[in-house]
Amino acid sequence: MVIEVEHLWKSFQIPHERRTTLFENIVGMIRPNHYETYTVLKDISFEVDEGECIGIIGDNGSGKSTLLKIIANILRPTKGNVRITGKMTPFLELGVGFQSDLTVQENVGVYAAIMGISKREIKNSIDEVIDFAGLTNFRDTKLKNLSSGMQVRLAFSTAIQTDPDVLLVDEVLAVGDKEFQQKCFETFSKYKREGVTILLVSHDLGAVRRFCDKTLLLRNGEKEIFSDTNSVIDEYIYRPDEARDPPTGKSDTRWGNKDIEITDVKFIDKNKKYNDNFISSDPLTVRIFYESHEKINSPVFGIIFYYQDTYCYGTTTEFKGCDTGLVYGRGYVDFIVEKLPLIAGEFEVTVAVASSDYKTQYDWHNRLYSFNVHNQMRDLGIFSVDGSWMVVQQ
Amino acid sequence: MYRELILRLAWSDFKLRYKNSALGFFWSLLEPLLMLVILYIVFSNLMRIQVEHYQLFLLLGIILWNFLDRGTSMSIWGIVGKPSLVQKVYFPRDILVLSTCITALMMTALEFTVFITFMAIFRVMPEISIVYFPILFIFEFLIIVGLSAALSALNVYFRDVQFIWRLIVQVGFFATPILYPITIFPENVRWIVMLNPMAQILTLTRDCTLYGIPPEPLNLTYIALSTLFVLLLGYFIFDRLEPKFAEAI
Repeated sequence: MVIEVEHLWKSFQIPHERRTTLFENIVGMIRPNHYETYTVLKDISFEVDEGECIGIIGDNGSGKSTLLKIIANILRPTKGNVRITGKMTPFLELGVGFQSDLTVQENVGVYAAIMGISKREIKNSIDEVIDFAGLTNFRDTKLKNLSSGMQVRLAFSTAIQTDPDVLLVDEVLAVGDKEFQQKCFETFSKYKREGVTILLVSHDLGAVRRFCDKTLLLRNGEKEIFSDTNSVIDEYIYRPDEARDPPTGKSDTRWGNKDIEITDVKFIDKNKKYNDNFISSDPLTVRIFYESHEKINSPVFGIIFYYQDTYCYGTTTEFKGCDTGLVYGRGYVDFIVEKLPLIAGEFEVTVAVASSDYKTQYDWHNRLYSFNVHNQMRDLGIFSVDGSWMVVQQ
Repeated sequence: MYRELILRLAWSDFKLRYKNSALGFFWSLLEPLLMLVILYIVFSNLMRIQVEHYQLFLLLGIILWNFLDRGTSMSIWGIVGKPSLVQKVYFPRDILVLSTCITALMMTALEFTVFITFMAIFRVMPEISIVYFPILFIFEFLIIVGLSAALSALNVYFRDVQFIWRLIVQVGFFATPILYPITIFPENVRWIVMLNPMAQILTLTRDCTLYGIPPEPLNLTYIALSTLFVLLLGYFIFDRLEPKFAEAI
């Protein structure tokens, strides 16, 4: 066991008025200060074996970063224990302790020492670190004269000289461009191959899925589930949502004579549950509930997908050759997608129902509904093209 | 294991203090010299203090007191002034205090080059008793570390500690025999002044450096014990307050 977390509790006391001087404290003794206690972590326990790579996911404010900081010994638990064997290096922020008035070379030396890399341990010399960051010509330049991108590169190439048993990573990957993130991943993969135990806090579920063997899901400071990554991410995305606003019926987003009324629209996930969050390539069904006040023959139901303001896709029952027949009373129409070709983002949906010749609008809900798609592939963009590669050498 | 980190931090801080002025080192020496000239004129001519080698007596007092003043005043900011080193990485936090004290030590070492020059100019040859100088100097350093540990930790929670400490240092400057020899006090109150370990260190350092008088074992023991007391108390306070630094900073 490399990391053992036992019944960990952490609460912060936040005073209504903060006293930072002795004077305020003495005066304050007369009237007691009121504290608000926020319990950020509640009874967290888990164990990590050597060489495992663990993802920690959860909504904002679920306690991910606090947990990581406690494991890094920066914050101390209110109750409970954390035991770590071996050398631990936190990557909570790159370039901690960088001094803008020192030169590149001097900063590498100080930063390496801060990250716990002794002279002997610097695998490459300081020169090689600077070369790796692509700053060979800037050795004696003061740090303040470098661009922020250069500074991040320098910090990263210094930090990765470390030779830890346990590596703690907090959203470091969120900074920098695609190329830099790629570099980060290659480095972490290398650490993983070398048997380093890694804890990764991230919002990038795709990264967690690619990279982590097991994942811990936190919700409101409690351990929701700690298991293999795929099932945890499914749980996270497809969990029932308690609070989601029902669509508002604003007049400029809804029109029609309401002979047929669309009463509700739901998205259904692969577990046959109503949901607004989906993983790309998973099944999705849009269910349109209607109530027809007249007997109407073969009305046409339509659907449009938007991404931001881009009209992505539109279709109708008529285009697809689906005859709705005589419609009267309540019912629903399903638009079934077996393999969602969307990659990531929030998609808005318009649903409408019209007469068979499209001349009469019964009900039109303009972009009233939306669902989110989370990526688990490495593909980029909005939608995926179902293609594969083939290489021919001639 | 952390020796390299302490030295790196201390050295980079030292360099930063002079980095942007070519005459940086020179400026740092000017301050004690200016003080020396003013105090010398005032006390030697106007107040008529009669002490052998009064220039050197005064300069040594100023340098040693400056060491305490500077070491503690810089260390008060040692934790509060470096939030990212407290909140984003972990190493034992007393390293921040130690490295600041060592920066002050480097600055004081620089001032001692002036003192040595002055000794040469006034042709004062140190005698064998000079061997006690490093011992006394180390005791002073440890007192500074102890005070700094307590002050830097307290300043995280009570930001007016810095102002209170400035007042104490000001009072201390006059209550410690820096401008005057201990002998200006009547025999029966001297022991009260000498309860202050800094008064002992200053007096004994001058005796062994300028006048060839080795310190009494009793005095040395008193200094050693009070140093130990300050150091332990300082670290006790620091250890008590350290766990919540990252939250309170």
